[in-house]
Amino acid sequence: MTLEHYLILGAMLFCVGLLGALTRRNAVVVLFSIEIMLNAANLNFIAFWRFGENPEALQGPLFTLFTIAVAAAEVAVGLALVIAVYRHFKTVDLEQLDTLKEE
Amino acid sequence: MTQEITFWVLAIIAVCGALVAVVRRNLIHGVFALMIFFAALAGLFLLLLAEFIAAVQILVYIGAVGILLLFAIMLTERVTGDDGRSITARGWFWGLAAAVAVFVFLLLPAIQEADLPESTQSIQPSVKALGHKLMDPYVVTLEVLALLLTAALIGAVAVAQGAEVNKKEDSDDA
Amino acid sequence: MSTTSLALIALLPLLAAAITSCMKCGRRAAGVAIVAMLGSCGLALWAFGQAWGMGPNKHITFDIPWLTVGSTTINFGFVLDPLTGVMAAMVTFVGLLIFIYSFGYMKDDKRMARFFCYLSLFAAGMLGLILANNLLLLFMCWEIVGVASYLLISFWNHKPEAAAAGKKAFIVTRIGDMGFLIGILYAFKSAGTLTLYDGGAGLLEPGMGGILFEPEIAAIVSLLLFLGAVGKSGQLPLHVWLPDAMEGPTPVSALIHAATMVAAGVFLVARTMPIFEAGGTEMVVAWTGAATALVAAFIALGQYDIKRILAYSTVSQLGLMMVGLGVGGVAIGMFHLLTHAFFKALLFLGAGSIIHGCHEEQDIRKMGGIWKSMRVTSIAYLCGTAALVAFPFTSGFFSKDEILAGAWASSTPIFWIAAAASLLTAVYMTRQCLYVFSGSYRGEHAPHESPQVMTLPLVILAVFALGLGALAHYTVFEKLPGEPAKHETIVIVISVVNALGGIALGWMIYRGRKLGVDADPLAIKPLREKLWFDEYYADTVGKLWSLAAIISEQLNELLIFLRDMFVMLARGLSSAFAIGGDRKLIDVMAFDGLCDWLRSLGYAVTRPQNGFLPGYLRLIAIGVVVLGLVVFWIS
Repeated sequence: MTLEHYLILGAMLFCVGLLGALTRRNAVVVLFSIEIMLNAANLNFIAFWRFGENPEALQGPLFTLFTIAVAAAEVAVGLALVIAVYRHFKTVDLEQLDTLKEE
Repeated sequence: MTQEITFWVLAIIAVCGALVAVVRRNLIHGVFALMIFFAALAGLFLLLLAEFIAAVQILVYIGAVGILLLFAIMLTERVTGDDGRSITARGWFWGLAAAVAVFVFLLLPAIQEADLPESTQSIQPSVKALGHKLMDPYVVTLEVLALLLTAALIGAVAVAQGAEVNKKEDSDDA
Repeated sequence: MSTTSLALIALLPLLAAAITSCMKCGRRAAGVAIVAMLGSCGLALWAFGQAWGMGPNKHITFDIPWLTVGSTTINFGFVLDPLTGVMAAMVTFVGLLIFIYSFGYMKDDKRMARFFCYLSLFAAGMLGLILANNLLLLFMCWEIVGVASYLLISFWNHKPEAAAAGKKAFIVTRIGDMGFLIGILYAFKSAGTLTLYDGGAGLLEPGMGGILFEPEIAAIVSLLLFLGAVGKSGQLPLHVWLPDAMEGPTPVSALIHAATMVAAGVFLVARTMPIFEAGGTEMVVAWTGAATALVAAFIALGQYDIKRILAYSTVSQLGLMMVGLGVGGVAIGMFHLLTHAFFKALLFLGAGSIIHGCHEEQDIRKMGGIWKSMRVTSIAYLCGTAALVAFPFTSGFFSKDEILAGAWASSTPIFWIAAAASLLTAVYMTRQCLYVFSGSYRGEHAPHESPQVMTLPLVILAVFALGLGALAHYTVFEKLPGEPAKHETIVIVISVVNALGGIALGWMIYRGRKLGVDADPLAIKPLREKLWFDEYYADTVGKLWSLAAIISEQLNELLIFLRDMFVMLARGLSSAFAIGGDRKLIDVMAFDGLCDWLRSLGYAVTRPQNGFLPGYLRLIAIGVVVLGLVVFWIS
């Protein structure tokens, strides 16, 4: 397949993830969506490495490796925060978590 | 020929999995759909001749992140989520519009003609080469990553433990 | 003679007026006034002695610069020449005698002190008028005299007739004064100076700045000045105030109507004679005087009040003085003025004495037989009468003779009018004397002779009335400007015929009648009613002024109406601005509107800050798209 296919696929996946992040109420689902977005970005990286020049430099996989590691760490901390929020506010509904509001 | 079919199948599975994960009311269903999405993506990595990454993807995402999400779901809301409330935040249309806008925007560079080199058969990816790369030019990055993971671990534990536990420890000290 | 001593002649009575205005005791006030007048008289006689040494056209002036307007200076000054000297001497002497007489006449009056205050004020004004070397100063003193005469005429202010008479005198003379003032202004405009004698540059001197070289201007100025004289001296048509002024006490009548105030007008004409001669307007003066003399003599025939007869007689004699000035010059007119002052004062004081003796009775029909009861007064009165009718060799004879001679020489019609007036003078005086002195008393209580303080001045004046003529006849022409007229025989004949014939006529008509009971043959209705002058004035001028008053009142109403409309308009405008403009426009629309708009804006701006996380995320996504597009476009 050509690069364009992979890029379009990546864009589509990214936007699906973005849709979830922008639309859903549940904080956990927002975290899902973030994972989807990150994975789409990884796909882009590998696609470019595969179809691009100088594959011996292994830039694609390396970057993807780091991205996966960071994403895992982020999701761990994020979920810990969600649990802490749930304990305090008794809800993870983003519409009800509006204490950032200027009153 | 087989590559094309494989690609298309995997692509459809990925997209559907992502959509289901994002759209489902029942969060458990969502997590499982997410795991299917991860798996599809791993397949795509394989197609792209990045075997190690595919392996890591399955290990980390499906194995760790997915389980983590499951636990988080169990610890927070009612898992089935059938209390009749809306699953979308107010003004979901604007979210949809923003996502579509971003999609269209991303398409602009995606569909352009790229000046690519010819051969793709010369890729001989090996774990050995990857290991060399990690140790030699990117060792600092590796160490920083390790530090990050450690910090994340400690932070997650501290946050998840809760406020009362921390207060109790403080008063014990005083 | 220094400035101070000249000034003191006028200032001593002024000082007396100031002092007596605060005094309550009549006798002491009288004393102050008489002493001041005595001093004034002495100084005036000294001045007269000094002036007598000068020729007719020499003048000594004493000027003090008073007001400087631009390049012209108005002086405050006095002049000493034979005219001034003789007039001042006469006024102070007669005035002194009248002051002494008033001491007796007013001794029972409660406001005697005030009376002497007014008398002194009057004397001060008159003397200032005589001494002034400046038309403006003359006018100021003229006005003082007018005010003082108003105060004196209406002295018995509990009588409404007296108050009305004082007002009438003031207002009628004011009409003349208006002309006088305009004359002064015009003279000042033409000549640039108001000083009369200024070492060659004065108004009355043929100097470079004088008006004597321009006949038209001189004529206009002289006629305007004459208007003032007409008012003050009671010439036709402004004579109406004089008879009414008899409401005042008798010394006032004597002072004002015999010697001084009415003489002021004649004096003014005499003083400014050069202007009249330059303008050629002497004949106007003469004709006015002649008409006045005749008409007043006729009216005197029909009067029954003893003082009113004398008043009309004064008007008539003043007319003759004006004739004298007009036809012969200063000397002739002033001569008659001098002699008239003495005998008229005598007649008035005598009348006052008679009235006093008859217990304040003034109607001659109720008198009679005074000869028997008041001998001294009667003798003095008859001397005065003789002088008035120009009985041969009295002072009046000489002065009237000069007038008739001058009239004969210049204008025959005037001569005949003057002669007729003299004849009538004799007739009405004879009538009056017969009514008063002959027969027996027709009143209630028997009359008694007046105290010596009143009779003594009468005697002194009688001597002058008889003797002054012979004394002055030969010297007056050396000292005052004017030529003695050629005495035609016919003039002297007619003079004597007038006097004696008139007496005979009166005798014939009135002797033998039952006076006071029968009708008076000469007092026909028109004469009794003073030829209806007052009624005529009231009908025309009076009505005119009432109309003017109504018109001004209407105009006032109109102005008030306009003012109300304007106020309404202003109020409407202001409320439109306040309510419409300020409240609606500024407050509601601008200010409140602005505040509300700001509040909405603030609200709108705070809306994004709602803590709504998905909202934030959407904005970030849109932002990224926009940023990317911008970068895309640039590259």
